[in-house]
Amino acid sequence: MSTTQKLQWVFWLGLAGFLAWDFSASGPVDLRNEPPLIAAGSGQATSGGHCSMAK
Amino acid sequence: MKRLPLAALVAAFFLFLVFSVSVRQAVLLLVGMGMGAALAGARFGFTTGWRQLIEQRDPRGVTGQALLLALASLAALPLMGQFSELNAALGPPSVSLLIGAFVFGLTMQIADGCGSGTLYKAGLGVPLNMGILPLFAFGSFLGSVHLDQWLSLGQTEPVSLSAQFGTDGALALTLGLLALALLGVRAWVGSGKQWIDKRWVWGAVALAVLATLNLLLAGQPWGVVYGFGLWAAKVSVALGAFDPAANAFWSQAGNAQRLTQTVLMDVTTITSIGILAGALWVSAKSPSADKPLTAQQWAIGLVAGFVMGYSSRLAFGCNVGAMLSGISTGSLHGWIWVPLAFAGTMVGVRMRRRFGF
Repeated sequence: MSTTQKLQWVFWLGLAGFLAWDFSASGPVDLRNEPPLIAAGSGQATSGGHCSMAK
Repeated sequence: MKRLPLAALVAAFFLFLVFSVSVRQAVLLLVGMGMGAALAGARFGFTTGWRQLIEQRDPRGVTGQALLLALASLAALPLMGQFSELNAALGPPSVSLLIGAFVFGLTMQIADGCGSGTLYKAGLGVPLNMGILPLFAFGSFLGSVHLDQWLSLGQTEPVSLSAQFGTDGALALTLGLLALALLGVRAWVGSGKQWIDKRWVWGAVALAVLATLNLLLAGQPWGVVYGFGLWAAKVSVALGAFDPAANAFWSQAGNAQRLTQTVLMDVTTITSIGILAGALWVSAKSPSADKPLTAQQWAIGLVAGFVMGYSSRLAFGCNVGAMLSGISTGSLHGWIWVPLAFAGTMVGVRMRRRFGF
């Protein structure tokens, strides 16, 4: 296995580990209040984070 | 990784998202994968396109980018006029934007990848970009922590071209400015140049379609930087190194709430994971072959990646969040971002040469 391939494994395992930790450490997901599949036309205001936001 | 096990892993993650998070996030993962495959498959590098224009007077990359901006605007502006649920990427014109965009344009040349570029190259397995990604995240987080201090240097309210001129007026102005930019490119490269490259064109069309899908599904334009900052913020809070309640940005209701939720509920996070996976899918067929870097180049590249993350937050986005999403949804800040980032890039390509990249 080359050094780059080892680095790739470290990278992906690190990402998977972070996501697993985050999911277990965060508050539970409220599945009954999940956002609409398509925001357009849903009548629900969207409230996601975006890099253009100043606040 | 071979494609079959990769497909199985993606399918498992997709089902996990469907049953444990939301159907929308699962579908956005696929949209992100499409973006990653398009970026990596077409080698659609915003950074490379600008560098080729400056160093080789080759306009093909920026023509592809202009096509992407035009197509995305043609879709996004009328859709936003039709559906009130869809938000524009509105950033405030500010001192922070001017400085942030310039520094971002400079550092993205040294780091050889903007926000999306870092993602897809990390997905392809380029060592420097894999190393940059966590530093980009911490830089983005630190930029958000300091954002209120930067904004205190001077800012105005975000300007929406749609609100100012209506959908048709905003679209005409956007397309007119893009045409003007291409005229400037024509003056720089001179006559007898090849303008169209199939690779850039299909990349632009695919990315415009996927960016529009992102807007329709999520209700907000494609973004990269916010998700990175959120990841680092969550780690910092968990380590007890950061108190979000004492910070202007992270104590805002929406940001504070997202800190308590899994990042899998964040739109920008899920598309970014998709981009990584989409690029990995492409790399299974055509692995990247990059030349090894010296220790000095590694150090410089990693520092550039960190500064790039910091400055992207000051600039209210990278080439995706500010340029593509800002311009295509009619935000003035996107049009301020481009010349400043390009000026930074003109310095960055020289520094890049100096360090032997």
